[in-house]
Amino acid sequence: MPLHLENLSLARNGVRYLDRVDATFRRGRLTTVIGRTLAGKTTLLRTLAGLQAPDSGDLKLDGVSIASVPVWKRDVAMVYQQFINYPHLSVLENVAFPLLRRGLKAPEAQLRAEATLAKVGLSGFAARRPSQLSGGQQQRVALARALAREAPILLLDEPLVNLDYKLREQLREEFRGLFAEETKAIVVYTTTEPAEAMMLGDEIVVMHEGRILQVGTPVDVFERPASTAVAEIVNDPPMNILPGAVVDGRIALGSYRLALPAHLSRLAAADYRFGLRATDLHVDPASEIAGSLVFAEISGSETFLHVETAFGPLALQIEGIHDIALGTQVPIGFSTERLFAFAADGALVVAP
Amino acid sequence: MNGSGFRAYKLAFLLPGLLILLAIILFPLIFTIRVSFSSWDAITPGLNNAGGINYAKLFGDVRYWQSLGRLSLMAVGTVLLQYLLGLGLALLVWREVKLRRFFRVLFLVPMMTTPVVMSVVWRTIFHESLGPANDLLGMVGLGPFQWLTSASTAIVSVMIVEVWQWTPFMFLLLLAGLLSLPREPYLAAAIDGAGPIRTFFNVTLPLLAPVSIGALIIRLIEASKIMETVYVLTSGGPGTATETTGYYIYIRGLRDFEIGYASALSITYLVIMIVALTIIAKLLVKVFIGERT
Amino acid sequence: MMPKLYGLLKYSVILLWSAFVVAPFLWALTTSFKTANGVTGGPTYIPWLQYEPSLTGWRSLFGGAGGIDIVKPYLNSIVVTGSASAISLVLGTLAAYGLSRFDYRVGPAKNADVLFFFISQRIMPPIVLAIPFFLMLQFLGLLDSLLGLILVYIALLLPIAVWVMIDFFNNIPRQIDEMAMLDGCTPFGAFFRVILPNSLPGIIVAGLFCIIFGWNDFFFAFTLTFTDAQLLPVAVVALNSSVTPWWSLSASALISVAPLVLIAFLVERFLSRGNLAGAIR
Repeated sequence: MPLHLENLSLARNGVRYLDRVDATFRRGRLTTVIGRTLAGKTTLLRTLAGLQAPDSGDLKLDGVSIASVPVWKRDVAMVYQQFINYPHLSVLENVAFPLLRRGLKAPEAQLRAEATLAKVGLSGFAARRPSQLSGGQQQRVALARALAREAPILLLDEPLVNLDYKLREQLREEFRGLFAEETKAIVVYTTTEPAEAMMLGDEIVVMHEGRILQVGTPVDVFERPASTAVAEIVNDPPMNILPGAVVDGRIALGSYRLALPAHLSRLAAADYRFGLRATDLHVDPASEIAGSLVFAEISGSETFLHVETAFGPLALQIEGIHDIALGTQVPIGFSTERLFAFAADGALVVAP
Repeated sequence: MNGSGFRAYKLAFLLPGLLILLAIILFPLIFTIRVSFSSWDAITPGLNNAGGINYAKLFGDVRYWQSLGRLSLMAVGTVLLQYLLGLGLALLVWREVKLRRFFRVLFLVPMMTTPVVMSVVWRTIFHESLGPANDLLGMVGLGPFQWLTSASTAIVSVMIVEVWQWTPFMFLLLLAGLLSLPREPYLAAAIDGAGPIRTFFNVTLPLLAPVSIGALIIRLIEASKIMETVYVLTSGGPGTATETTGYYIYIRGLRDFEIGYASALSITYLVIMIVALTIIAKLLVKVFIGERT
Repeated sequence: MMPKLYGLLKYSVILLWSAFVVAPFLWALTTSFKTANGVTGGPTYIPWLQYEPSLTGWRSLFGGAGGIDIVKPYLNSIVVTGSASAISLVLGTLAAYGLSRFDYRVGPAKNADVLFFFISQRIMPPIVLAIPFFLMLQFLGLLDSLLGLILVYIALLLPIAVWVMIDFFNNIPRQIDEMAMLDGCTPFGAFFRVILPNSLPGIIVAGLFCIIFGWNDFFFAFTLTFTDAQLLPVAVVALNSSVTPWWSLSASALISVAPLVLIAFLVERFLSRGNLAGAIR
């Protein structure tokens, strides 16, 4: 149990950034922390790094409290979402800087810096200043500086969020390769994007309003979200959550009735909140359920439809490019075998 | 940044400067307040307890109150003049001017050169028979003026020097402000069919308000301390016609050595200045930005 | 037709104001080459044509005829301004960095109040401080000494250094210092290794401002010194008393503002038009 957080809390000006956080981060694993903006992810990393002292709670590395170890002695590497490098140093000097600060001899530091630059594909740029590089290259320098140290704790705070879409995909792929080599370090990576969290994480921590909602493997969290809040955060677009009930052995959504699928057949009659991913809704001319189209967006080869129904808004993700006029009544088919059932308070009852 | 281990460093950054400033400024200020309640003068130097006698005396000191009135007039007058001239010049060169950098250095020079030294030069310029001021104005049929020896012109002469020295400051600040204005409001005004004058009053002046207020306040603070130029140009004369408050306190305190009384005058001067500048700052905000609705 | 007229107006106003700006300098320059005859004969402007130029004025500055010695006050001014500027720059830069990066609380006062205390010193009229300074330096035996003046000038210049530098530090992302600390620097290490090398333009501007204000002070130098520690402006003003040595007076005035003209060029270089307002604010 290498890095253990015990009951960490931190509030500023009445906003709770960390609310009784307990978590464990293991060596040789990459933990992604997913949550919306202001969920407390950055604060969590800053507290781990020692840049911010928590109001209460403790941090233990191998059972020894490190809460009072100042940041410069903590040996934590970090990559920020802004591309932070030292403007007055060359790329090579940037990467060698932390090595020299930690007592490495200059020739040795240079060798290791060069090797790390090669790893992130920046060998030809060693002599340049960071300001002469593109955003993606600048972030690679920051990453190289963090990796070269071989610090026992490596933190990445939404490192890809300020890059354009294509570059983000590419770097994400590279990250996967780079982190696979990290067998000794504790790596914590925050993101708002479910796909990124799933792809990179050995383990996922879901945060919301300063609290940890769920911890588990990507499959765990994706397939068995502990609550409606988790289901919304780990799906993109967020999972549709529909207030409804089970009445007379059927699902009631507003005035509509749907047959109970097999996996929900044992559900007692009560109010529920049903969850269904956007990909599990489709346009079905035969369906009697319909809603009026308020917004449509085309992304690649898929179309997202945002529809207003009698029982609330729905998001649909359908294959192909469709041009449908706003205001059109869209008939909606439900893949009921994919329905999640949550209790009225949001806790998961049955997952498909 | 407030992680653990920061505390000692935090203090090490701030404390040396703060303590030294406190020692050099706050201690003398408190000392002055104490002295102002004593009758320390050349004959009986030392701290005794004279109660509020200095403050009572000060209320009847016509020369002091006159100097304050004169100072207010000069400060507000010169700063207003500097602002109008500076704004006019800035508006003129707002759009590109050739040799821009050369003119900028040229305009920086007066505000950087030593005020008293330039006042010494100005005093020779204002010399009635040997100086160039009367000579050059005489060529266009003006004057001669008694620049420094008649009560009403002496004040004007002091103000001319102040305007010469500090208009560039206004100009440079306002020009920088003008150059950083956004374009959109001007497009909007042009679409509305506003003429140049309406555009100036409805768009330029409001957008320039923060810079204007800042520049005016900085200059007013400096102008309310006018004393050195007066000392060099006129020594407060003729009579007391150009005597500013600072200069009067200097005479009572460090020339006549009435330390106790001069301290009382100083403290009163400082308080009046702070109150007046605060009110003026509020008024400026109101004039430029208007009532908050 | 209109743009042409506007251009004409624009340049004539600029040239007119430029003439007003340079007039005192030109007058001082021409006067500095005059002799008693050249001055008392009434205003003249053009050497050789209107009067016979002579170096009497300039020679008098270095112990020549009718002499005042400008060298000692000049050196005094350099020592006092230089030392006070350097000390203020060091203390002010440290304090500004602290105020820019950390949260302080002194009783009810927070960062903004501490900063206000620093900057508000510029409001203080010199005369208010001159009387206690006089008594204090007398008590310490530092009247008419360079050390006493340096102490006083630190109080004058420290607020300027803080004022310029805090604005500069606030524009450097604080993640850079955090990164340095994550990389193993103490807060001092981060400041010296990473922040200072990236603050050179700000430090130069702050330093130039300190030098200008220090060099230009007259009142404290005037009230707190007599002969030994006399500074340049006091020496120049001492010539003010009579009409006759206008040539030495002009020469000394020019030589004492000459470094400032040089600084004006430097300041212009470092205050690009975009951040002029920011740097002076």
